[in-house]
Amino acid sequence: MKRRWSWLAIPAILYVTCTITKLQVHAAPQTENPITWSSRIAPIVYANCTTCHHPGGGGPFSLLTYEDAKRWGAQMVSVTQSHYMPPWLPEHGFGDFADERRLSSVDIAELAQWVKQGMPEGNAAAAPAAPKYSETWQHGKPDLILSIAQPFHLAASGTDVFRNFVLPYPLKETRYIRAMEIRPGAPQIVHHANLLIDRSASFRRAHPDQWQQGVPGMELEVDAGNDFDPDSHFLFWKPDTAVLVEPEGMPWRLDPGNDLILNMHLKPSGKAETISAEIGLYFTDQPPSKQPMLLQLEHDSALDIPAGRSNFVVDDELKLPIDVEVLGIYPHAHYLGKVLEAWAALPDAQKKWLIRIPDWDIDRQSVYRYRKPLLLPKGSIIHMHYIYDNSADNMHNPHNPPVRVKAGNRSEDEMAHLWLQVLPVNTAKDGPDARLLLEDAWMQNKLSKDPHDVIALYNLASSLAGQHKYTDAIAAFQQLLAVHPEDERALNGLGASFDNSGDWQQAQKTFTESVTAHPESCDSRFNLASLDLKHDQPADAEQQFRAMLEHCPDDAGAHSGLGSAQLAQGQSDAAQAEFQRALTIDPHDFVALYDLGDLALQANQLTQGIALLEAAVKQKPGDVDVHEHLAGAYAQSERLGDAAAQLYEAIHLLPDNAALHSLLSQALEGTGDLEAAIAEQKTALRLSSDDADGWNNLGVLEARAGKNTAARSDFLHALQLAPDHPQARANLGHLPPG
Amino acid sequence: MLTGLAIRALSLTLALSASSTARLATDLDGHTLARLAPPEAHAIVLFFAASDCPISNRYVPEIQRLAREFKSDAVHVWFVYPNPGDSAKVVRAHNAEYSIDTPTALDTSQALAQMAHATVTPEAAIFIPEGNNLHEVYRGRIDDRYIAFGRERPQATHHDLEDAIRAALAHRSIPQPGGPPVGCSIVTLHP
Repeated sequence: MKRRWSWLAIPAILYVTCTITKLQVHAAPQTENPITWSSRIAPIVYANCTTCHHPGGGGPFSLLTYEDAKRWGAQMVSVTQSHYMPPWLPEHGFGDFADERRLSSVDIAELAQWVKQGMPEGNAAAAPAAPKYSETWQHGKPDLILSIAQPFHLAASGTDVFRNFVLPYPLKETRYIRAMEIRPGAPQIVHHANLLIDRSASFRRAHPDQWQQGVPGMELEVDAGNDFDPDSHFLFWKPDTAVLVEPEGMPWRLDPGNDLILNMHLKPSGKAETISAEIGLYFTDQPPSKQPMLLQLEHDSALDIPAGRSNFVVDDELKLPIDVEVLGIYPHAHYLGKVLEAWAALPDAQKKWLIRIPDWDIDRQSVYRYRKPLLLPKGSIIHMHYIYDNSADNMHNPHNPPVRVKAGNRSEDEMAHLWLQVLPVNTAKDGPDARLLLEDAWMQNKLSKDPHDVIALYNLASSLAGQHKYTDAIAAFQQLLAVHPEDERALNGLGASFDNSGDWQQAQKTFTESVTAHPESCDSRFNLASLDLKHDQPADAEQQFRAMLEHCPDDAGAHSGLGSAQLAQGQSDAAQAEFQRALTIDPHDFVALYDLGDLALQANQLTQGIALLEAAVKQKPGDVDVHEHLAGAYAQSERLGDAAAQLYEAIHLLPDNAALHSLLSQALEGTGDLEAAIAEQKTALRLSSDDADGWNNLGVLEARAGKNTAARSDFLHALQLAPDHPQARANLGHLPPG
Repeated sequence: MLTGLAIRALSLTLALSASSTARLATDLDGHTLARLAPPEAHAIVLFFAASDCPISNRYVPEIQRLAREFKSDAVHVWFVYPNPGDSAKVVRAHNAEYSIDTPTALDTSQALAQMAHATVTPEAAIFIPEGNNLHEVYRGRIDDRYIAFGRERPQATHHDLEDAIRAALAHRSIPQPGGPPVGCSIVTLHP
């Protein structure tokens, strides 16, 4: 059993200093017609401002009507000239981003001229129609709406508030999410929000008394669970985000037991506010066809910024082990960040800018998505280069006078993070999950900065194990254990790696060591018991599962494991009771569904067996055996078409298994599709050519199809391999003389 | 140094003629404000506000705090709404929403804004009564949290208005604001 940690720093809000640059305002072109609201200004405002500035929107006031615009004319000139509005931090030309929000110098000049001329309305009838904004969900009714457990009350005044709300995912099945919308409840006080997936509900468990009212903090750490399942999507919301729609083929996933964590940056408005945030999720039935991954550069350990230093530099770099497409980028620092840059040095020495923010402002932080995916070939080196200003001249400095600042989770601490959403491309079809290679590179990079980084050591070791590099994985786990000798996850990971490398005795020893060090832990006993079971020591396994149940009586896996151990010792009644108990606790327990299904089939309870195996297949669609067993059950029920469908699934998972092709051939023959049956049998024989039975079967199929010559050759082939093959000999005799 | 910028006489006790009444500020019930404070007041603070201006609204708790803090020192604080859109109905609802219990003036004719030379909300002015006249001794920002639009400190480091009030009460020279007020322009009245 593997466990993996990861932590996603949730960007918190940084106050950034926004230098107002004196813009050189270009004179608006002289036109014969005066600039009026109807002719020139409404189109600018509707295209650039009203996404936020509409009633109920994230902007503090509406700009939908002429009267509105007239009210705010002077401010519009001031904030567009200073580039405060529309909000957009990246420097133009350093990365080509979708939804870039920049007014042209002509637009800015026209706004100024319009105000100077007294803000004439012009011909109201000729004004463009104002855009319409839904007062509820912008994307239509969501498939699932989640709300924070209780409303949060934000005080009228004070510094900004960073709060994390846990929203447990309530469904009992996995769903894929193609789009998400956040309705913060009081949009004008929510600066931004980040949604994290907590696969193991670890944050909720870590804050049992607080999670319902929200846990303070800018960043948070979650436990990513047992499997390699890296964070893959930026689920970032800011006031101008109507709805977050994922690209085709890239939905994200929620499983039963997951939590969503809504990390919000809230700004007091002057009055007491109540926030009752809701998240709307839009499902798709299509699982992802592309698996992106979030990759991080960081160098928090380098953050030790002396008081008064105005140009403190922090760098990091990461060499890409594979080709990737960069889809999005998320730079993050707190209040002292000044200039945030990232670029890639390509193998041909070309420098490709990823982003440049010349005047960082945590208040306006954002995820930026590229207009087109940015290809970075293997060997490219991604650079992060951040400059911090801890002087009194940095007005965002939370300390006055400045103090020495290090990395940390509080807003007055600092951070140096750069997240990238990347999609592995040009990957080997049969190779390991390409994201594991990225994980390797990422963790190696972390370890180069801190060789004792426990999470990095663990993730690296797990990643190596995931690539079946067990020798390296064992070394990495041992390196971790040298620092933390009794680390349970490391011991479990080490045991699993020993087992997978073929040294199951060493695995047993390691799991036993873990059980001794952590006698009340369920994971270690489960691993030891499962190992015993796998290696035909069902009595020992039974003992371990029973010990485990003393501490974890409601662990479905322990009950089904105990059932398996009993089954292996011939105690099928006792086993059946344990499987049923497991299903009472967790109706989705795969082992219980599978074994109970087999038991039902053995008792000739075909309908029940099929139902159980169908449920098992749903739980583990990647398990070849369960497809094969279900196919067998269908075949017994003479549902040969269904049997063939299951075998196709199995073959999809294991294309080079001759036996599966042979079984499929038989199922197809039963459905009357002789040609397909012949083709499958030929595939089986191509994979395993010395199978006399297989040649005989092919001969029978060929003969039925009237291909007597081919059939004869097949039977002779069988006899050549097995001269005494009785069926082949008899079949040869039945063929009409050739 | 007491910089009596814009010293402007305002009649506090003089009976006003009916014809000029319309040009004066009123309370939320429409009653003309004949006086902003009793003659024994030590200082009058006008806080120029707009119900629809976000930065102005963010300062509501701070102004309320100052009003409470200096009440016993005979400092009279007023919320003053100079924009034409801020009718009695709008301001009453706004004050309820923001729990404002400080005296409030509707500066319908912008007489108070002109007297104080205020141009944006939020902006504050301090007047010292001298006989029947008022001397303006301070006009400008409340503190240094906002440097410009988009340039905001996590929290204020200089409380300009509060420091000025304390100086006035102590009869010291009045420190002047360290930077311009940041907020929403007061909407100009068209004749």
